[in-house]
Amino acid sequence: MKRFLLYLTVAIITFTIGYNINLIYFSDRAPEQPINFSHKVHAADNSIPCLYCHIYADKSTISGVPSVQKCMGCHKIIKTDSPEIQKVVSYWEKKEPIPWIKVYNLPDYVYFSHKRHVKASVPCQRCHGDVAKMDRITRQTVIFGVPFLRVSPLKMGWCLDCHKNGAKEFIGGPVRNGTDCWTCHK
Amino acid sequence: MAGFLDRLLERFKIYREPGYYKRYDYWWAMVVDLDRCTGCGACVTACQAENNTPVVGEEESGKGRVLNWMRIERYVEGEYPDVKVKFIPVFCAHCDKAPCEVACPVYATYHNQDGLNVQVYNRCVGTFTCATYCPYDVRRFNWFTYKDKGSFESPLDEQLNPDVTVRTMGVMEKCTFCIQRIVAAKDRAKDENRKVRDGEVIPACVQSCPSKALTFGDLNDPNSQVSKLAGLPAEPYYLRESGSKLAKISKNPRAYRLLEDLNAAPTIIYLKRVMKGSSTIGHE
Amino acid sequence: MLNRRDFLRVVGIGSAGAAAGFALAELNAPNPARLIPYLIPPEDIIPGVANWYASVCRQCGAGCGIVVKVMEGRAKKIEGNPIHPISKGGLCARGQAGLQVLYNPGRIKNPLRRIGERGKGEFQEITWEEGLTILSKNLKELRDRGEGDGLYLLTSPISGHLKLLLKNFMNAYGSSKYFAYELINYENLRFANNITFGQNSLPHYDIENTNLLLSFGADFLTTWISPVNYSYAYGHMRQGRPGLRGKVIQVEPRLSLTGANADEWVAVKPGTEGLLALAIAYEIVEGGYYKGEDRGKWLAALERFTPRDVAKVTEVAEERIIGIAREFSKTKPSLAIGGENVSSYENGVSNLVAINILNYLAGNNIGISGGIIPNRDIEKSSFIPVNSLMQDASKGKIKTLILYDTNPVFTTPGAVKVEGQLKNIPLIVSLSSFMDETTLLSDLILPTHTYLEDWGDNFTEPSVGYPVATIMQPAVNPVFNTKSVGDIFIHLARNLAGVFQKEIPWTDFGAYLQASWKMVYNKHKDMKEIRETTFEEFWNNLLSKGGWWKEESQAGKKVYISVNKITPYLPKGPASFDGDDKDYPFYLTLYPHSSYMDGRGANLPWLQELPDAMTSVVWGTWIEMNPERATTMGIKEGDVIEVESPFGKIYAPVCLYAGQRPDTISIPIGQGHKFYGKYAEGRGANPLDLLPFKVDERTGAVSHNSTKVKITKTNSPGRLVKMAGWTKELGRDIVQTITPEEFQVKEG
Repeated sequence: MKRFLLYLTVAIITFTIGYNINLIYFSDRAPEQPINFSHKVHAADNSIPCLYCHIYADKSTISGVPSVQKCMGCHKIIKTDSPEIQKVVSYWEKKEPIPWIKVYNLPDYVYFSHKRHVKASVPCQRCHGDVAKMDRITRQTVIFGVPFLRVSPLKMGWCLDCHKNGAKEFIGGPVRNGTDCWTCHK
Repeated sequence: MAGFLDRLLERFKIYREPGYYKRYDYWWAMVVDLDRCTGCGACVTACQAENNTPVVGEEESGKGRVLNWMRIERYVEGEYPDVKVKFIPVFCAHCDKAPCEVACPVYATYHNQDGLNVQVYNRCVGTFTCATYCPYDVRRFNWFTYKDKGSFESPLDEQLNPDVTVRTMGVMEKCTFCIQRIVAAKDRAKDENRKVRDGEVIPACVQSCPSKALTFGDLNDPNSQVSKLAGLPAEPYYLRESGSKLAKISKNPRAYRLLEDLNAAPTIIYLKRVMKGSSTIGHE
Repeated sequence: MLNRRDFLRVVGIGSAGAAAGFALAELNAPNPARLIPYLIPPEDIIPGVANWYASVCRQCGAGCGIVVKVMEGRAKKIEGNPIHPISKGGLCARGQAGLQVLYNPGRIKNPLRRIGERGKGEFQEITWEEGLTILSKNLKELRDRGEGDGLYLLTSPISGHLKLLLKNFMNAYGSSKYFAYELINYENLRFANNITFGQNSLPHYDIENTNLLLSFGADFLTTWISPVNYSYAYGHMRQGRPGLRGKVIQVEPRLSLTGANADEWVAVKPGTEGLLALAIAYEIVEGGYYKGEDRGKWLAALERFTPRDVAKVTEVAEERIIGIAREFSKTKPSLAIGGENVSSYENGVSNLVAINILNYLAGNNIGISGGIIPNRDIEKSSFIPVNSLMQDASKGKIKTLILYDTNPVFTTPGAVKVEGQLKNIPLIVSLSSFMDETTLLSDLILPTHTYLEDWGDNFTEPSVGYPVATIMQPAVNPVFNTKSVGDIFIHLARNLAGVFQKEIPWTDFGAYLQASWKMVYNKHKDMKEIRETTFEEFWNNLLSKGGWWKEESQAGKKVYISVNKITPYLPKGPASFDGDDKDYPFYLTLYPHSSYMDGRGANLPWLQELPDAMTSVVWGTWIEMNPERATTMGIKEGDVIEVESPFGKIYAPVCLYAGQRPDTISIPIGQGHKFYGKYAEGRGANPLDLLPFKVDERTGAVSHNSTKVKITKTNSPGRLVKMAGWTKELGRDIVQTITPEEFQVKEG
């Protein structure tokens, strides 16, 4: 009986650990998007700046996903024969927006402002990883071709770490009132 | 080890010790002119609209569970026909020596660098201690997740303010001086590399007041509307001391603080109503 | 201790557990959130940043300018437009709750056609095309039969170009039957103003700059005419002028919110307010404060109303009357206003005339700052006494009735029995956003936009001493399959073709509005106030500012009131009441609830949960009663009582309120809806059910204060939900005060 209890306890504990390891480090790794969009092609090969498509990042709390019109602006001419581009065209012709899957998702009670961070010249890569190397957007670093751990866990401790110490490189010191709860929660 | 303990103690002080901040960045405060206030209640609805406060319904209202962050109190004096009715809007006074801050076992409420009494929903575990300690009875408890009880029945939910959290069951909430508007104003100010101007932050209640009884601003600034109306000098930090009396430093004979004797040092300053009969001037 | 075998077992179980956990988390992973971009990004929208659209509030007739905060196409907040001369940035609770009109779950989502019996509420959803075809076919037939005058259009009192459009439509159709109806109307006041000042309109009462305001039952801080503007004025009068603080005296049987803010309350006997005004007038003339040549004539006309005699009738002490008269004449400027309460007796016009002449006698407060500033002439209102409408209905004159934004079944006295009369009308069409009592009786329901989705404009009456026009623009796209009321008529005109096409050639209401304003612009473009060189620029400024107004004072116009002309309109005696004193011992005072007005706000949950200013009651009807009188009758707070008049009875809980005469009970109007969405239905009682059909004969405005009632304690269930517990300060000095004398000393 005693032994059974021990086994049970061990099983429960390890089950929880396993569950949480997945949840914290492996969930929403690199979801398959409706269109196989490559940041590598756009940002690296053609060196399009981030703000060319994510037009609201320096104006609003959210960075904004490019509208279908924006995509079509270039792809009316460029690479029109690619099957992926034809998918975009079909969305455009159906007058439907593309239902992208959110990779970076914050809880409702966190009020993160892209604008403040862009204006403080925090590079996008600081939180979003080197997207220019990613064919499919992912929150994990790739080591020897194996996706491993997140670039940004999007946990509060990670935010505060930068607000307290890491921000030196951008604003020369800790963020002013950067640890006050009401800076990000309202 | 010692360094760690020091840091821990420092953290403890920030959250626990009233008056930890020797000087506030801004010192947000409100002046309520009771001679202008008519008691109409526009502010109450404005607050509800701005802050996603759910409507709880008749049944819950009857149990005293309304969630309005502010209320108009009415006092009826005398017998017919010499009846006097007096109104006073009451909201969280963001007290400098807030009793609620000492009460909370999980630091869910503390004072921040702007002189605001912060309520952190994510930390709150709903012990109700803060509400019990609050002398002004302005803290409201979410007995249910009212969102699930149909308080924002579709399409009413389309109105919800995206800048304010919709609270869930078991969380204490209260007036935030419309922190989302303060943050927005600071954001604008930072863009232009300046301080927030007087009158730039207008909480929903102040904005709506038809008779302009409410004024909001920074007590650190001697030229702000609030400082002038309350007749206060620049940086009236005397008000935070134990046993301080507003009447001692205010140039306005009408200025007073609600239940000042309790020594909570509220930052809402009321201006006395001008009224025949019952005078309370010089009442200590 | 653990042996090797057990250790391996533990490791095995541990790994299996971890793997199972990992796998389960993988399976359990929530559906990923979607990120939906715009197809074509709107130019003026930055997601996450609010846009503000200027518009006008339509929750009452005051015409406050508002700005609507819109984020990603959804309205989030309504605030007063800070540059608008009426609202001056403020907004009342009703205005704030406009968002819940827009996003109300009880809105009608599609056009409906009745399939069951009338009043059963059985409807079938139809398309707009079908709905409009039914109506235009009916209208065509009616006109072909030569019964064009059988088309009746009943709306709320609207102003601006929508009214013009409706008029044009009715003219083109050949019907003269375009009417407006509202329970809380100012017809008596307009009539009285016409008699006294020669202007059939509501003037601007300059409360802002007056030094003594003598208000007869005008609850101007909550519901009377333009509460937001008057609240601003009140605040300014009290504390906006250094060294000067205006005084307010309130004369009314029930202490209203305005009364609570006044310096003095004169608890006059119901129905005698007009006599009190005449006694004050007598004292003004007799005491030599009136200096006109016709002083003798006035004295003769007023001689029946000496303070001594009137004191007995009004139950206001003689010295007090004299005191008020003297103070009123000596203080300059002073202002007397007569409100809803006095205008709602059967002799409402007379009372208001009596109050109006005080302004003339005490130093001619007309046309001066701090007094009454007359409006420029406004076209006659289309108000119809509901009795004449009902007569037409019972005689079968009404062939087709189109209703817009009005609910006569709920807002008329019970004795009118509108419901029964409407049965005689072959086709009732309701243009309404909500399923209210009247809409339920209609055969065809064409749901309209709310004011936050629609175009429109508003020419404010009363203005603020100069004309104010406010533009209403759609802040959001329609939430449901609804149409603008203007568009409905334009569409009908297109269906009817012929002469309509010539009269109403526009494609939609927005285009019509713009065309109309182009005419306004062309007419006035030479004025120096208009700096815009093109109409486009003018129109854009109009939309961004919220309207057009020219700040200039119209003060200066003096009036002369002739005694002979006015005498026939003065009150002859106290107002008469239905129900004799013996059987029905209580006067009944009905007042529009500060949040629901005549009942239209009862479907908005924010307003239902907003504590009433005086009693703090929420979510229901209550009956206000004097505490001492209640005690003698054995009635406690919360007891449900039966209120019976000769015409009906209602049940509601009692709320004890010291600001109530012992011989009077008061009930707020607004609750007791049978149909009006889930927040209003079956809640409280409608006190209008107690009323006879009594109107002031000069205007046809309903006299809702001319009934006496009796009350009986019952054991019926019912509850009084009050937000405030104790209303005594118990020496805690919560609301501190200083006396006016001390204030003067300290300030001076």
